[in-house]
Formats: sequence, C-alpha cells, structure tokens
Amino acid sequence: MKSKIITSLFILFSIFLAGSGVTIIYLYNTTSNLRSVIDLHRVEIIRQDLVINAQTVQAHLYSFGTSFGQELDVIVDNVINLDESARKCLSCHHEPDMAQKLNTMVNQVDQYQSALSQLITTSANEERVERMRMVAIGIGTTVLDTVQEMSLIAGQRLNDKSIRSLKEINNSRIILIITLLIAFVIAAGIAVTMTRQVTEPIYELLDATRHIKAGELGYTTHYVATGEFKELVDSFNDMSMTLSQSNTSIMRHLESLANLYTVTLNFHSLTDESEIFRELSYGASDLVGVDQCGLMMLEGDEFVHTYPAVGVDREAARMIRFPLSAIEPLYREHHRAYIRNTDISSSPTGEVDSRLNVRNMMLVWIRQKGRIVGAIRMANKRTGQFMPEDVQPLAILANNVSVAIDNASLYLDLKRRMEELKDTQQQLVQAAKLAAIGEMASNVAHELNNPLTSVLGYAQLIKEEEDPSAIAADILVIEKECHRAKEIIRQLLEFARKRPLFIADVDINAALEYVLNLGRLQIRKQKIDIITDFAPDTMIRGDENQLKQVFVNVVNNAVQAMQSTGTLTVTTEATDDTVTVKVSDTGEGISPEVMEKVFEPFFSTKKEKGTGVGLSVSYKIIKNHNGSIEVSSSPGKGATFTIFIPRETAA
Amino acid sequence: MLCDNIRMIHTMLRAAFTCAILCAMLLAPAHLRAAETGERILLGLIPEENIFTQMKRHRPLAQYMTKKLGLKVEFTILSRYPHIITRFERRKLDGAFFGIFTSVLAEESLSVEPVVRSVGIDGRSTARGVIFVRNKSGLSKIAQLKGKRAAVVDQVTATGYLYLLYHMREKGIRSHPDAFFSQTTLTGSHDSSVYSVLSGQAEVGAAKDRIMAKLAVMDPLVQSELRIIATSEELPDNTLYLRRALPINIKLGIQQILMQMKDDPEGRTILKNYGSSDFIEAKSSDFAPVRKMARESGINVKNFRYDKP
Repeated sequence: MKSKIITSLFILFSIFLAGSGVTIIYLYNTTSNLRSVIDLHRVEIIRQDLVINAQTVQAHLYSFGTSFGQELDVIVDNVINLDESARKCLSCHHEPDMAQKLNTMVNQVDQYQSALSQLITTSANEERVERMRMVAIGIGTTVLDTVQEMSLIAGQRLNDKSIRSLKEINNSRIILIITLLIAFVIAAGIAVTMTRQVTEPIYELLDATRHIKAGELGYTTHYVATGEFKELVDSFNDMSMTLSQSNTSIMRHLESLANLYTVTLNFHSLTDESEIFRELSYGASDLVGVDQCGLMMLEGDEFVHTYPAVGVDREAARMIRFPLSAIEPLYREHHRAYIRNTDISSSPTGEVDSRLNVRNMMLVWIRQKGRIVGAIRMANKRTGQFMPEDVQPLAILANNVSVAIDNASLYLDLKRRMEELKDTQQQLVQAAKLAAIGEMASNVAHELNNPLTSVLGYAQLIKEEEDPSAIAADILVIEKECHRAKEIIRQLLEFARKRPLFIADVDINAALEYVLNLGRLQIRKQKIDIITDFAPDTMIRGDENQLKQVFVNVVNNAVQAMQSTGTLTVTTEATDDTVTVKVSDTGEGISPEVMEKVFEPFFSTKKEKGTGVGLSVSYKIIKNHNGSIEVSSSPGKGATFTIFIPRETAA
Repeated sequence: MLCDNIRMIHTMLRAAFTCAILCAMLLAPAHLRAAETGERILLGLIPEENIFTQMKRHRPLAQYMTKKLGLKVEFTILSRYPHIITRFERRKLDGAFFGIFTSVLAEESLSVEPVVRSVGIDGRSTARGVIFVRNKSGLSKIAQLKGKRAAVVDQVTATGYLYLLYHMREKGIRSHPDAFFSQTTLTGSHDSSVYSVLSGQAEVGAAKDRIMAKLAVMDPLVQSELRIIATSEELPDNTLYLRRALPINIKLGIQQILMQMKDDPEGRTILKNYGSSDFIEAKSSDFAPVRKMARESGINVKNFRYDKP
C-alpha cells in the first residue's frame, strides 16, 4: 500500500511538474516578450525624449541669433539629455541592424554636439556663424530623421512582440487548464481506488473486533489482503488467538486458585492431623490431576508416607519411605519442588517409584521454621507431565499445610494446658473453701472461747467460795456469759440461714432517713456532723427490712469508726437501672490487710463491741438483691462504703 | 474744464506712481543674486573645450557641492569668450571657473576674488600655452609663419592667443597677428583650434597643452601629425572665482568643500571623473606671470577692449 501511495503521488506530482514546467516555459517566454514590449515602450519614451530635445534645440537654432543668452542653458540641457537618451538606447541589447542604426544615431548626436559647441563658442563673422548654424541644423534634422526611422522599426517590432506575447499567454492558459483537468481526473481516480483499498480491510477488521468484543476470543478474519494490510490482518488474527490463549490460561489459573482456596480453607478449621492429610491428599490430587497423592512427614531420619492418601493403600503407604539423606540433596538443589518426568529409575526415590509403577513424580517441600519437615508426594499426572506452573499452587498448598499442621499441634497443646488449668483452679477453690471454713471456725471458736473461759473461771471460784452472796453473784456472771455464747451461736445460725426476700417498693432515701433517725442519739453523743445529699427518685424493688439492716450495719460501722467527733456523709445517686448509696466517715480508715477480710463472717476489729457478722450479713443481703457492696479507704482519711442496688431485684 | 484736466492729470500721476511702486516691488527680487535669495549658487564655465563635454564633467561636481553645502549649485556655459565678462553680469552669476587670462580680466572688471584652483590628475594646477604646426609643413619657427593661416582660441585666452602674441613680441615680431598671418580664426575652443590645424584649415595653432594632451590620448593623429614649436611657462589654470559680495559662510563653505574633496571617498571619485586630483587655494598673486605676459604683449588689462565681434 505504501508503495502504491508513493507511486500514485509520484505520478500526480510528475503531471503537475510537467504541466507547471510547460506553463513556466510559456510564462517565461510571455514575460520575456512582455519585458521586450515594455522595453520597446521605454524606447519609445526615450525616442520621444530624443525628438523633443532635438526639436527644442532646433527651434532655438532657428529662432535665435548668434548671441546666446539664457536660452543657452536650455540648449545645453536638451543636448545633454539627447546625448544621454541616445547612449541609453545604445546600452541596451539590440539586434545588429538596430545596433548599427543606434551607433549611427549616437555618432550623429556627437556630431550635433560638436557643431553646436562650435557654433556657440566660435567668435567669427556672421557669414561663418550662419554657416555653422546651418551645419548644426542640418545634423539636427538628420538626427530627427534617424530617430523617426527607428521609431517606425520599433513600432513594428512592438506590434509583432505584442501579438506573439498574447498568443503565448493564450497557449500557457490552455496548457495550464489541460494540466489541471488531467491532474484532477487522475487524483480523483487515485483517491477512489485508495479509499476502497484502505477501507475494505478496515471494515473487515472492525467486524472482527465486534466478534471479539462479543466474547468470541480467537475469532479470525479470512479477508485476503496484500502488503501492509496482509501484515495487519495476520497480526490481528495472531492477537485474537493470543487473547484466546491468554484468556484460557487465566481461566485455568482462576480455576486452580479457586480449587486452592477451597482446599486451603478447610485447613484452618481442622485440628486433627489425619483430617488435614486427607484433605490435602484429595485437594492436591484434584488441583493437579494425579493418580497418587499423599503427605510424607519426617520421622527421625526418614520421610514416611502418612496415610490416608489418594491412590495409595496402607500397604503401599508403608512401602513409601525415603531416607533424609536422599531427600536433602534434592531439597538443596530444587528450592520449591522436585519434578521427575522421565527416567524414574535413576531418581534418588527411583527404587520405591519403580515398585509403584510411577511414570512421573513431583515432591513439593513443606517447611517449618526454615527446615524441611515433610513433602507432598504426587505421582502419575493424568494429563501428561508435571510442569513448572504446577509448582505454584502446590507451593501455596504446602505452606498452608505447614501452617495447618502447626496450628493443629498448637491446638492440641492448648487444649491440654486448658485442662491442666481447670484442674488447678478446682483445687484452688477447694483449698479456699477449706481455708474460709477454717477461718470462720477459728473466729467462732475465738468468740466462744471468751465466755467459756469466764464460765470456767467463775465455776472454779464457786467451788472455792463459801459466801452464798458471792456465789450468787458469780452464778449471775456465769449466766451472763452463757447468754453471750448463746447469742454468738444464734448469729452464726442466722448467717448460715437462707432467708427469703419480701420484695416490695422501697424508697432508699426514706430507708436511710429512718436509719439515721434511729442512730441520731448515739451520733449526737459523739458530736458527729451528718451531711446528707439525696438524689430524687430512689424507688427500687426489694426487701425493705433487710436493706434497712444493711444501712444500720454500715452506718453503725461508720459511727464506731469515728472515736469522738467527725463527719458522717450519706449520699444517694440514681440512674435508670441502679440506685447507689455512699456512706463515708472521717475515721482512721481501714488498712489494706483488714480491707481484704472486712466482709468475712465473724471478722472484727472491735474486740468486745462486735461479733464480725454485720458486714458479712450486709454483703449477703446486697448479693441477694443482685447488687454489690464495695469499700474504699485511705489510712487516716476515713472509709467509704458504696452500695449498688438495682431498681428491679430478681426474685 | 481746467479743473477736470488737472484732476485727471493728478489721477494719472497717482496711478503712474502706484504702478511704479508695484513694479519696483515686483522687480526688486529679480535684481537680487541667486545666492542672496537663498535659491541657488550659479557658477559659470568658460568654453575651453566642447561645452557639452564640459557641462557633463561639471554636473557631478555641482551635485556634490549641493549635497555638502545644502544649497543648490548649478553651472552654466558662458558661451563665447568676448561675452564672458558681460554675460557674468547679465546672468547674475555668483562665480565662475575662469581660464588663465579671463581670471586676470575678471579680477579687473568684476568684483570677484579667487577661491580655489583645480589640480590635474598629473598633479599640475597650471597649464602652458603651446604653438603648433603640422609635422609635414616643415615649419619650425614663428618667423616662418608670416602669411600663414592661424587658428587661435580667442583673444581672451592666455594659452590660446596671448602666448602667441607674447611669443611673436619675444621673437621681435611687433606686427598684430591679423597683419602677420594671412587669416586669424578665433575657433572658440582649444580642441577646435587643434582640429583646425589638423584638418588643414590653418597652418599654425595655439592652444592649452593640457587640452591638446587630452585630445592626443583620444585621437592618435594629434600626437603624430602635429608638432609643438613653442611652449610658455606654467600659468595658473582653471580658477574658481566668487563674488566678493557673496556671504562669507558660503564662500568659505565652497572653498572648504572643494579643498576637502580628496579626503572624502565620494569626493575622490567625483574628482577623478572631473579630471582632477585636488583643489588648492588660489590667490591673486598667482597670476603675476600672466599680467607680465599681457603687459609685455602691449595689452592693458585694466582697459581691455575686445576688438573682434
């Protein structure tokens, strides 16, 4: 096509060039003739100047006498102009006959100048001067005749040149028109032909692209083209085929990735190694398409085949064992996988493979912490030989297997440790229970020990005393101590007894007001200031009497914590779900050691004043209301008991 | 009636007076010199060769002077020698290139002063008068020329007439040339004088040596056919005179332009075509030899009268 375009343009250019050349020649001739015509016109102007100058001088010669006045300048100017005009004529290019005539005329002008100069400058008698004047007039007349004669010749030539010029102008116009017409026809022909030759293959290719766009990858056009268009069509067909192959390859890869994803997805949910081996064997077998597939793990110095596997029964699996010394060189040489498609018997694993009728074989390494720990063994690929592109998905699979095996191992380890932890916890709980019982028993024993010691002491005194009044007094003491012991046992029973809750609406603020009024006498006695800050709407559902008992215990505890003066602060806060009661004192506070045991039953720091049951009972009541009770304290800055009571207490 | 006549006479006199004033006003500028009106400088040329050749030679010089001076400079031919002085006055010239003898006469008759003199290509600013005959005539002394036809340039040329007269007196011939020669033709120019002898119209001729040398270059016959029998001493030639009344700046301007032409490339080219290499300052004293020649030839330059038509 390129050569056709160049050839066409060359032909077109040649026609234009030829036409232009002929036209230029005609134009050149025409302009030359026109220049000659112009020159002839100039000559005519010069001739007219010559005539005017000569006639002017002649007129002066006729009309004036021998004494030349101012008219002398006119004569001199005209004669000099005459001479210049004549020489200008002579300086132009002329044909020989015309040049000769011009030479004659110039000579005549020279003679005219000499005669005139002599006439003007000579001082002689009138007769001689008149003679000289007639000579000058005669030469002037000759000059005029010569000029006239030349004028006729120039006129004839002017006419001839004009006719010739017009003829050549006409010829050049015809040639130009013919050239343009021929060039137009040829250009139109070239344009139509070229357009057809260019558009046909383009339309064919356009149609082919539509097929490809519609999904017909690999579609080829059968348009028969030549030259560059043949190359274009071939290239297009190749491109279509390449697209089709690329698409097939991409689809295959996608399918492979999808299979890989399906296989690997299961690995992350499996914790049993045998299940992992099964999934791997079937998954890898499907992924690559092999008759034999299984996982071999390193055990001691050997890679042993782990059952279950695809295409390998228990008997065969036992047979497949590769020593580490045989595998290690292959691992070092082939970084990701070892492929053996031919000459199986000469392979390091050839002995086993030959027995299992293996045609071709691939080992994909499984690594953990930078060391080879196993290999996926595949043999007898169904579609032919193992290819390098088979390695990529299997390498990913191997990595996932490595992680899955690691995870399974970790899972088993974790499970074992969790069980160990559970046992330890149960033991700890049991020990704590025993310790609490022991502590409580110790506290109860301590509490009972005091009255019993008194009873025993007074009983011995009675045995020794004789005075009945003294004995009666001692008996009263013994009675009192026995009542004390009885009270301790009652409280113990009370603590151990599970009382049901009588749920009703309780206004926490009102309950607190009631409790504070009960203790107001003791509070006043100790000159303790009371600060209350109650939130509105502190209604809850609960057991009012038991909650009042809690508040009595906490307030008494606070009052007793303050030895003399101090400030008792009682506040309530209410949310949609909970009412919070805070009771603070300004006593000495609670040490960390005591704070750990403050809610334990029968733990008390108040010696004879308490039994150590109040706060433990309060703790139990609040727990029964699904609430909680906390204590916070800083030594020397008092303590704060915070009670959280839910508005709705579960029955 | 009388009153009417007197009134009419008065009216006529008043009209005549008015006309006279108007005429005086109209004519007054015409009497002014060209340079004084600021129009142009008009310089005369004495016809010492073909006047058209002479004019063509001087035109580039005029254009150069016009360009440099800023005032139009023109040349005009003074036609025949007898009319040079009168024509100078009539044409109201501002100056003229005078010949050797006409310079002396102009200084005496006109209120002019010498300004510059041209120096030829050969370095000469002077010329000599030559008396020549044809080679084949066998003539070699002035005494042998008695009764022969003489071709002289004009009575007011030093080289073309005065020297012949002086030479005759020098050789003891006291006769007037008209009496000594059978025919004395005033040719009007030096080349005419040369060609008169060459063509046989005269047996003896007088002319300027420089003109004759120039003709000899153009026409070999001048060299081969003519023989010089007497030559004068060097005489100052081709001197530009300007009117004394011309403004001093114009006079000095013209003098400076012409004397500095050789320093200007354009001026040098024009000088070369003009046939000169330089212009030098001219003084009246340069013409002492001419005055002496005239005096010894019996010519009183103060009362010189042209005795030919």
